[in-house]
Amino acid sequence: MKMTRLFVAGIALLGMTVAANAGTLDDITKRGELRVAVQTQGPPFSMVDSAGKRTGSSVELAELMAKEMGVKITFQDYDWDGLIPALLSGKADLLVADMTPTLARAMKVAFTKPFMYTGSAVFAKTDSKFGTMDACKAKGTKIAVLLGATGEKVAKETFPDAEIKSYKGGGPLLLDAVNNGQADCGVNDVSAVKGQQAAYPAGSFTIMPEVLSKEPLAFATRYDEPDLLVWMNLFLDQVALDGRLQKNLDYWVNSEDWKKDHQ
Amino acid sequence: MLENFSFRTIVEYLPLFGQGFAATLWLSIVSFAGALAVGIILCAMNLQRSRLLQLPAKIYIDAIRATPLLAQLYFLYFGLPRLGVVLPELFVGILALALNSGAYIAEIIRAGILSISRGQVEAGIASGMTYAQRMRLVILPQAIRVTIPPLLGQAIVLVKDSALLSLISVAELTRAGQLLASDRFMPAEGFLTTAACYLVLYYGLKSLAAFSARWLGVRPIGSRT
Amino acid sequence: MIWFQLQSLIGSYPLALRGLGMTIALSGISLVLGTILGFALGVLRTSGSRMLDSIIGLWVDLIRGTPFLVQIFLIFFILPELGVELGAFTAGIIALTNLAACFICEIVAAGIRSVPTGQVEAALASGLSQWQRMRQVVLPQAMRVSLPPLVGQYVLLIKDSSVVSAIGLTDLTRVGWLVVQRVPNGLLVFAIVGIGYFVVCYPLILLARRLERRMSAAHGEVQL
Repeated sequence: MKMTRLFVAGIALLGMTVAANAGTLDDITKRGELRVAVQTQGPPFSMVDSAGKRTGSSVELAELMAKEMGVKITFQDYDWDGLIPALLSGKADLLVADMTPTLARAMKVAFTKPFMYTGSAVFAKTDSKFGTMDACKAKGTKIAVLLGATGEKVAKETFPDAEIKSYKGGGPLLLDAVNNGQADCGVNDVSAVKGQQAAYPAGSFTIMPEVLSKEPLAFATRYDEPDLLVWMNLFLDQVALDGRLQKNLDYWVNSEDWKKDHQ
Repeated sequence: MLENFSFRTIVEYLPLFGQGFAATLWLSIVSFAGALAVGIILCAMNLQRSRLLQLPAKIYIDAIRATPLLAQLYFLYFGLPRLGVVLPELFVGILALALNSGAYIAEIIRAGILSISRGQVEAGIASGMTYAQRMRLVILPQAIRVTIPPLLGQAIVLVKDSALLSLISVAELTRAGQLLASDRFMPAEGFLTTAACYLVLYYGLKSLAAFSARWLGVRPIGSRT
Repeated sequence: MIWFQLQSLIGSYPLALRGLGMTIALSGISLVLGTILGFALGVLRTSGSRMLDSIIGLWVDLIRGTPFLVQIFLIFFILPELGVELGAFTAGIIALTNLAACFICEIVAAGIRSVPTGQVEAALASGLSQWQRMRQVVLPQAMRVSLPPLVGQYVLLIKDSSVVSAIGLTDLTRVGWLVVQRVPNGLLVFAIVGIGYFVVCYPLILLARRLERRMSAAHGEVQL
C-alpha cells in the first residue's frame, strides 16, 4: 500500500516536472506562508483552548510541518463540512483534521497516508435508558451525528429505523445535544468523543464498547498539488520513525494529559 | 465546480428541497401566528396608562430590537436545557422567531393605532362612545386596514429569518441546500436552488402584499422589507 | 458550578474582545462602503432612466427576497469558483456591503421620491441643471427624510453581521458559540453576548428615534 502510493505520487511528480510547472512547494516557499484549514472546535485534534490559543494534535503537527518547510503558518478554521470546500476553492493549501479518507471524498481531494486509526462509536448519556446498542436501534430514536462526517453515513446504516439528526459545526455539539436530551444517542469517532467529553463532569457519557467501523485518519491536499502530497507523506513517515508522531498522539489522543495544560 | 453545474443532482435532491420548502412554509406560518399573539399582547401592555404594564413591555421590545436574532436563537437553544426545558430544535426555533417578530409586530400595531387621526377619536368621544366602543368601532377597524401591509412585510422578514434555524439543525429549506453542498461537494447547486425557492416564497408574499394594499385602498406605511 | 463557569468565562475575556472588535470592524467597514454605494444607486434609480430603474430594481428584489445566510454561503463558496480569491473576512464584507447598499438604495430612493414634484418643477422653471437641481433642491430635502430610516438601517446591519458567524468568522456571536461548547451555560454566555450587542445598538436606536421625532414625518415608519 505504501509502495503503491509512493509509486503513483512519483509518477505524478514526474508528470508535473515534464509539464514544467512551478510546484506548490515553490509557491509556499515564495509566499513564506503555509495556509492550513482546520476544524474550529474538534478536540483533541483542533481547538481553541481557554487562553484563546489554537492548539491540538493536528494543529501541532501542522506547525511542525511549517517549521520543517521554513515558513510561517496561518490557520483558517471552518465547520467540519466547510473543510473540503475551503481546500478545493484554494483558500488553504492543505487541511489537517481527524478526517477519514473515504472513497467519495477522495474523488475530490488527495489524502495522505493515515496517521492513526480510530473507529466510530456510539455514546449516550449515562443512566439514560439508551445505554445499549439495542436501545439506540429502536424506532424513532434520535441519533446525533456531525454534518458531513463518516459517522453520518455509518449511523444511517447501523440505525435504519432511527431519526438521524445532522449537526453543523463540530463534535462538541453532539455531546451537547445528547446531554440536553435533544438527541438520545450520538455517533462519532471514539477519539473525538473521548477528547470532547472533557468539558463535562466526569462520567456524564457512556461510550458503548461496540466499534461500528474501523477508520483511518489522514490529512488532505488538492490533486493539483502532487509535490505537496509527496512531501506530506514523507513528513508523516519521518515523524513516525523518529517518534514525534507517537509522542503527539500519546499526549493528545491516547491519554488525557493535554487536559491539564489546556483546560 | 461551476463548469460542471449538475442539474441532474439537483433533480435527484428535489424531494429533499420539496420537504425543506414545505417545512419552511409551515414553520413560518406557525411562528407568524405566534408572533401576532405576542405582538398583540405586548402592544396592549404598551398602550396602558399603568407603568407596571408598560415598562416590562418597553424593556422587552427594546432588548429584542437591539440584539441579533441569531444570538437570541442560541440563547434559547443552549439556554433552555439548563432550565430543564428540553424542546425539539424545531420548537425552539419557532419560539425564537415568534418572540423576535412579536416585538416588531407590537410596534407595527402601535404605529397603526396611533396613526388614526385625533379627529376620529374626538368624534367618537363627542358621539358619546366609551373607550371600549371607540376602540372597537372606530380605531381598530381602521388600524387593521393600515397595518396589514407592514405586517405582510414583517412576514417576509420572518420567512427569511427562518433560514437561521438551519444553524440549529432544523430540517428546512436552507438545511436542504447545506446537505446537498456537503454530501456531494456541490455548494453552487445546493445554495442556488435554495435561493430560487426563497425567491418563490418572496414573490408570492409580495404579490399578496400588493394585492391586499390595493384591495384595502391603503398606501403602505414604509415597510422594512 | 456557576462560580467555576464564571471564572472560565472571565478567562475568555480576550477572545470576547476580539469578537466584539470583529463585529465592529465588519459593521463599520460595510456601513461606510454600503452607504456610498447605496447612495449612488439610489440616485441612479430615481434618475429617470427606465432601464436603470428595472436593473437596480431586480437586484434589490434578489437581495430582499433571499435570506442573508444564503447570500453569505453563496458569496463564500461560489465566488472563488469564478476566480475571486477571498477569505471569510472579505466574503463577510462583500456580503454585508451588498446588503447595506441594497437597503440604503431603497431608503435614498424613497427619500428622493418624497420631495414634492412642485419643488422639482420650480427648480426646472428656475433654469437649474439636473445636477444643480439634485444638489440644491432635491437631495437636501431627501436626506432630511432619509436620515432616521438610515440610522435604523445601520442598527439592522450591525445585527445582521452576526450571521457571518456561519462561515466561521470569529465575531461576537461566534465567540459565544465557541465558548458555550466549553462552558455549557447558554443562558450566561448569550446573555453576555446580548449585552455586547445592546451596548452598541441601543444608542443608535435612541438616535434614530430622536431624529424621527424631530422630523415628525408622517412618512416612513422606522422599524428598528
